[in-house]
Amino acid sequence: MNDEIAFASITSLAKKLSEGDLSPARLVEMFVERIHRLNDTSKAFISFDLDTALERAGRIDNQPRKALFSIPYACKDLFDVRGQKTTAGSGVLHDNIAAADAVTIERMNGAGGIFLGKNNLHEFAYGATGENSLYGTPPNPYDSSRLAGGSSSGSVAAVGYGLCAAALGTDTGGSVRAPAALCGLVGFKPTYGRISTEGVIPYSWTLDHVGTITRSAEDASILFEILADSFQPTGADTVQRLDGLRVGIPETFFYQKADAEILDCIDRLMTFLKDSGARLTRVPMPSMEFTRTVSLTVQMPEALSYHNRYLELRGDLYSQEFRAGLALGQCLLAEQYVRAKRFIETYRRDTDTVFKDVDLLLTPATPAIAPKIGSVEVTTDGYTEPAGNAITRYTSFFNMTGHPAITFPCGMHSEGLPIAAQLIGRHYEDESLISIAADIESAYAFSLPNPKLD
Amino acid sequence: MKKLQKQTLIGIRDQLASYDWKDEELIELVDPKLGIITGFQELLDQLDILRRIDLGTIPPASNIAPLTDE
Repeated sequence: MNDEIAFASITSLAKKLSEGDLSPARLVEMFVERIHRLNDTSKAFISFDLDTALERAGRIDNQPRKALFSIPYACKDLFDVRGQKTTAGSGVLHDNIAAADAVTIERMNGAGGIFLGKNNLHEFAYGATGENSLYGTPPNPYDSSRLAGGSSSGSVAAVGYGLCAAALGTDTGGSVRAPAALCGLVGFKPTYGRISTEGVIPYSWTLDHVGTITRSAEDASILFEILADSFQPTGADTVQRLDGLRVGIPETFFYQKADAEILDCIDRLMTFLKDSGARLTRVPMPSMEFTRTVSLTVQMPEALSYHNRYLELRGDLYSQEFRAGLALGQCLLAEQYVRAKRFIETYRRDTDTVFKDVDLLLTPATPAIAPKIGSVEVTTDGYTEPAGNAITRYTSFFNMTGHPAITFPCGMHSEGLPIAAQLIGRHYEDESLISIAADIESAYAFSLPNPKLD
Repeated sequence: MKKLQKQTLIGIRDQLASYDWKDEELIELVDPKLGIITGFQELLDQLDILRRIDLGTIPPASNIAPLTDE
């Protein structure tokens, strides 16, 4: 399979399919061959259903083209697919067969998507490094000694290694956006609640978002149109362009303790935006001092509440790491949980106030490039923190506020790894946000090279 | 606020309708040896600071309302 197809966007594959340059069967065969060849290296898939995919692709050759034509996709192994195991990357669910498709899977298949398989992840999405002792740790396609990042590690590896055209993931603290950023892909999470989480194993109901991993913002737009609930609030179709766009640059937190090359890269993007007619303004943000505490205080009791159903009978099948997190959830007080949720409400309101003066916010996607596999801590600009905290440092706040956010590549680090930016939009202005990212993508003079895979 | 003691957590487990965590898992929260969970005491200290902030009538976060024409 040539790289032109393996690393092509949905848009360009759809063009080839619609013009008859490629048949759905041939396209799926190519990805199937690639999965067989590269899954041991990439550790991207926990399970696949390639015979069904081939059979389905063979049948749709002469059927009317739908929105997704016959684009092969995958999903994090938290999404239910009827008749298949949903393991959540854990031994706890080794025999968990789904009775029905998740709403998002139903929509992808209904739009003509060809489901290939279930992706590896950090067990139950608890962790941002994507390490998994049972199914292996997906490496970064640009450097196999480094992490792909997580928790949607297998989903970014699947797209990053050219094993599918797009993937679905979940994002509770950045688990779609941050690993996509580390692997040179586009990660998008919508406004809280705009894509259904029904049929997806929860981690934290307050913070969970279903998101997409694609090669371009244009592809993210195609998937969002398929996946979003049909409700279209006022203003959602107001598409803005770069000229006159008001871009907020957070005064604090998001540009601090970061890799100098990443900051330089975002600086170049700012110059491009200014040259394109955008107005950049420094904006004050809510205090970030306690945001990780607030997030954890909500996450762990919610995770424990869900996992109570398995702990009694299958408690020993959890990793030691996740059990420790759940034990922490048991030892927090109810009032602390409620108070944390009230702080989240203040974060939402304060961030909404910021959006009165700007159309969107621009930050680096991550403060550091992909850490080495096995790293416990990462030191950036003299600041040392756990690797997982570094990966999600700039993304997790927007899971609390529920604002839509997208990360996209905008440069290469001297270490040979991608650098990405993050744009955050107003609630329910997801369409405009993705559209602006697509405008930047098409106008900005940067093209990410494909990874060199052995 | 006093430093958290393992006996407190064991009491929660034994007396407050909790899952039956192993002793070593609870001890790890107050005296981390494995490096799996660190900073629980720091988290509690931060929660104590947050407890002192008056949030007025702010309710807990729930669903996000769609935009309206108003």
